[in-house]
Amino acid sequence: MTAEPDAEALYQQAPCALLLTNEKGLILQVNQTFCHWLGYTREQLIGVRKLQELLTVGGRIFYQTHWMPLLVMQRSIAEVKLDFLTADGKVTPMVLNASRRDHNGGVFDEISAFIVADRIRFEQELLQAKRQAEDALQRHVALEHELNRQRELAVDRALFAEQMIGIVSHDLRNPLQVVSMAAQYLRSLDMSERQSAMLGHISDATARSQRLINDLLDFTQARIGQGLAVSRAPVQLDRAIAAAVDSLRLLYPQRTIVFSASDEALFCQADADRLAQLLGNLVSNAMTYGDGTTPIEVRVAAAQGAVEITVHNQGKAIDEAQLSSIFSPMTRGSEAGREVRSVGLGLFIVSEIAKAHGGIVEVVSSAQAGTTFTTRFPAYASAGH
Amino acid sequence: MSVQARNNVVIKGQGPLTLVFAHGFGCDQNMWRLVEPTFAKHYRTVLFDMVGCGNSDVSAYDIDKYSTLAGYADDIVEIIQEFGEGPVVFIGHSVGAMAGAMAAKRSPGLIGAHAMVGPSPCYITDADYPGGFSRDDIDALLATLESNYLGWSSAMAPSIMGNPEHPELGVELTNSFCQTDPDIAKRFARVTFLTDSRADVRELREPVLVIQSSDDFIAPKAVGQYLTEAITDCRMVVIENEGHCPHLSQPAACIGAIQTFLTQTCGRLHA
Repeated sequence: MTAEPDAEALYQQAPCALLLTNEKGLILQVNQTFCHWLGYTREQLIGVRKLQELLTVGGRIFYQTHWMPLLVMQRSIAEVKLDFLTADGKVTPMVLNASRRDHNGGVFDEISAFIVADRIRFEQELLQAKRQAEDALQRHVALEHELNRQRELAVDRALFAEQMIGIVSHDLRNPLQVVSMAAQYLRSLDMSERQSAMLGHISDATARSQRLINDLLDFTQARIGQGLAVSRAPVQLDRAIAAAVDSLRLLYPQRTIVFSASDEALFCQADADRLAQLLGNLVSNAMTYGDGTTPIEVRVAAAQGAVEITVHNQGKAIDEAQLSSIFSPMTRGSEAGREVRSVGLGLFIVSEIAKAHGGIVEVVSSAQAGTTFTTRFPAYASAGH
Repeated sequence: MSVQARNNVVIKGQGPLTLVFAHGFGCDQNMWRLVEPTFAKHYRTVLFDMVGCGNSDVSAYDIDKYSTLAGYADDIVEIIQEFGEGPVVFIGHSVGAMAGAMAAKRSPGLIGAHAMVGPSPCYITDADYPGGFSRDDIDALLATLESNYLGWSSAMAPSIMGNPEHPELGVELTNSFCQTDPDIAKRFARVTFLTDSRADVRELREPVLVIQSSDDFIAPKAVGQYLTEAITDCRMVVIENEGHCPHLSQPAACIGAIQTFLTQTCGRLHA
């Protein structure tokens, strides 16, 4: 004969704690489960202890500031976690639901509770992880802030350095001019062969310094001014470039420069002096990095409303890695060594001149075909140029 | 942002004297539901939520400003300046009362009298002061607040409905009442339980009423006793009540004590 489980057994042995209190929290009924969890007898609790007296101090404050007002105002409360103390003082976290009922003129609170030790551990880990994530985020934000600050400082320093270059270059022009004029004057005097050779060195060095200073001034103008200044005027491009090639042949008598152009005259609007400078920089680059035994080829051509100036040399291909930054200032060929005359502004100025003409400069380089720089810009300036 | 929106300021009654009600730690202005309507019949009543609580504008919660009681006191000064007419009677519960004391100090003349419900100027016991708690106790409370974080959004909305026979409590408040961003709740708890306002209350010169519960775990009788000795013009009324919210559990007794206090001090306020 099996005994039917009855409601009383369910109440006493339920897998959750069940309590009935009056509105002050005094325990009026409590099931075995709750007594068992906290290590009290029913007699020790019923009519003797208040629910809040079984909580930790933190729990008791929470009870006063949240639990009680919520029960009064809402008459029910759900999923509140409170820490209980067992008879021997062990902290036991429970999650509680409660609802308030009026019965026979009295007010009673019905409460159910579960121990949530494992869940609390899990939640603590979540909270810990959340705190760590917040800390990491905070560190990240701080780091980003610091990086931005450093970046601004670096930009300021770079701008200052570039302005400094501009000012110093500008100020060096006058004393160089004096040196140059004095050298010219000395040329008219009689002097020994040795003196004449020394004067030649002075003139060469002065000319090189002047070119370098002009490059630096162009560089600062391009970087911190309104871009490189060009004044475009009608130009017959094939003639202008042919003339520039002639001057370069005088400058580099030991090398062959081959010039070619399409048959018809090639008119465009451009700054002829700037184009000569562009060509000079490209040819000088080809001299420095190309194969010294083969000619340098210069060509001008028309291309769909645009004009092109190409400079080609044979020789070792330019590194893939270097190609991407070849037009940035302070970039120069790796094998060129220290005797190279410029600080790496030549190709930067080339690209700035192309840009100022509304055009571009491109480079293609391979061991078989050699290296070709192509400058392309519209033959006629559109409005605004 | 307007002061009204920031603190969810609500003006209810009309009358020659303004009563400003400040809630304490835990909930919001709804805590005054059983007390304020009686006064709205004869007085201009002003209710508000501390920033971060109830229906205040949470976007106004500035961590630095509200890391000390002064941030809350400054808000109270602005609320009284904008919505009070003449010196007001400031009725504050718990930490709300201390914020009122600080506001009175920061802007003298705004508050003519203080009614403090369950006040404590300092919760931590020291050599010659019976605050009732240790620093560890407060840390345990902060942990309890934090561990109620995960269930917070659902915990405070009742999934088991209370009895419908109490319509006066209203349904509309069930979702916002006592619901606070857990991070803000924890910061506010820190301000509430770690601020030492003993110097502020000693400087109060206005008449003060302390409504002391006979059995209040958070603000015990010894603390009320301390206040009557520390404050120049202070009277204490002890209400037979268990808990920290007599304005909820014994509203009639609270109303009586405040009414008596108003009759005693009103003449002086209008003078």
